[in-house]
Amino acid sequence: MIEYLVAIGLIIGIFAIFALGLNLEWGFTGLINFGHVGFLAIGAYTTVLLNQGGFPLWISMVAGVVLAGFFGMLVGIPTLKLKADYLAIVTIGFSEIVRLILLNEDWLTRGPMGLHGFDRPFEAVIPFDYNYFLFLFTFVSLAVIYILLEQLVHSPWGRVLKSIREDEDVASALGKNVFSYKIQVLILGSAIAGFAGALLAFDLQYINPRNFIPMETFYAWIIVVLGGSGNNKGIIVGAFMLQFFYSGTRFLQDFVPFDSTQMSSLRIMIIGLLLVVFMMYKPQGLLGKKEELGLGR
Amino acid sequence: MIMQLVVNGIVVGSIIALGAIGLTMVYGILNFANFSHADFMALGAYIAFLLNVTLGLNIILSFFISIVITGAIGVLLDFIVWKPMRKKKADLVSLIIISIGIALILRNGLIFFWGGGSRHYDLPVLKGTEMFGVIVTYNQVIAFGTALVFLLIVHYLLKYTRTGKAMRALSDDIDLARISGINVDKVIQWMWFVGIGLAGAAGVLYALETAIRPNMGWFLLLPMFAAVILGGIGNPYGAIVGGMIIGLSQEISTLFLPSEYKLGVSLAIMIVVLLYKPEGIFKGTKT
Repeated sequence: MIEYLVAIGLIIGIFAIFALGLNLEWGFTGLINFGHVGFLAIGAYTTVLLNQGGFPLWISMVAGVVLAGFFGMLVGIPTLKLKADYLAIVTIGFSEIVRLILLNEDWLTRGPMGLHGFDRPFEAVIPFDYNYFLFLFTFVSLAVIYILLEQLVHSPWGRVLKSIREDEDVASALGKNVFSYKIQVLILGSAIAGFAGALLAFDLQYINPRNFIPMETFYAWIIVVLGGSGNNKGIIVGAFMLQFFYSGTRFLQDFVPFDSTQMSSLRIMIIGLLLVVFMMYKPQGLLGKKEELGLGR
Repeated sequence: MIMQLVVNGIVVGSIIALGAIGLTMVYGILNFANFSHADFMALGAYIAFLLNVTLGLNIILSFFISIVITGAIGVLLDFIVWKPMRKKKADLVSLIIISIGIALILRNGLIFFWGGGSRHYDLPVLKGTEMFGVIVTYNQVIAFGTALVFLLIVHYLLKYTRTGKAMRALSDDIDLARISGINVDKVIQWMWFVGIGLAGAAGVLYALETAIRPNMGWFLLLPMFAAVILGGIGNPYGAIVGGMIIGLSQEISTLFLPSEYKLGVSLAIMIVVLLYKPEGIFKGTKT
């Protein structure tokens, strides 16, 4: 039982970190990133490939995080001066190209076979069940990222982000370089996704392109929309809710006349429906502040 | 070899063009990128499958009924979702997120009822004919011919009918259209009917050319957005030209790129346009 809870807790922690990156982009700044999973993939594959190439694990992880952030910048350059839609379109395309490269460049990524056999942090020196340690490592990372983000969004820098979200013309009229702020946010959010990718690789011990399908992005979206856009505490709650929904519906499997494919499509339909209903009637989510978020006014 | 790719590109391009018309109209008039548009293509293909294979109707009849039903679902969604959001003067970014929610519901609804595998219409299998060393299949001729007829119908609708002219007026300036006495909501519903109906038509034609799959729309979404941006947002004629250019470049790219990376060609063209000419090659209404 405890092993099961730890395994579920790990997924919750990793997805909470992943969604915190998206929350910085969408929740605080109003940037629509539909390709968040691409940065998760870059983080995971860079960490694993460099480590397998003989680099120490921590250097590989840093490289994964930096590379994810770098690609965030590349995606931002052609799109962030234009309307919000363009970022959404280009990111969704970008993440799909990343997945296609992982799938087809066998010489580098072993394609659909995926990669396994790589170091995990302190695995050699942990005397007890490694999953317990990874659980601790994930939640300490989550706490650190959470605290740093909270400080950032409550700093003058963070207040500029919120003003961009509410009305970017006002922000630029006040002399703020809106484009530069948006690029910084996309770099930081993507880097956080890259870090989550490294953790995901440690948790799975085996990564392949199927771990990085577009739907992963929308798991992060439902976490952010449910928990409350622009509310980091809500993200943690949202990550728990998504996992409860998942595990809960898995228990239901025995009692419904649907096969597992139907069950998983039904789950995604419910997630889609929740996205629609929340954006229509409760865009601030369960925990967000309505008076703060200007959407739907 | 290259002629074969050009032929394939023209066929796929005309299908992308047909789908992109609705996408660009929504983008021009309602001002948001509709991420569910491509999944209506798949929906149209499956409705035609239901009529043709499950109910045993003739394929031509199935095709037209499917267009009407798909278009009607588009109008229904306007009543349930888009119109209430217009009344609330909702932020455009929330509309984009709603549209991706609808996309997830549609795509997985198709998987729920029909599973993830490929299906085909009940059609006689006909061999392609060879002309000047280029193989043209019967289905390609049908797909291209039908797409061409529909494009001409759209041209007639937009140029010569009252509703079509009103649609173009809305795309230019919705408030100006309103004060000149156009019933905006009604024109918008017609726009959904035409745009989503055309998406359904494009879906059936694409299924003829390939196969019916729940994620078939997903692989056309990026090419369609590229066509719309290339042709100038809100400009249906631009979308048609853009669709042909995208279709041709995707096919011709397979000469020097693995065909798995076709989507990358759309993305690359789109990024170049965004960097150097974000308003598109023809006059779009908005950037």
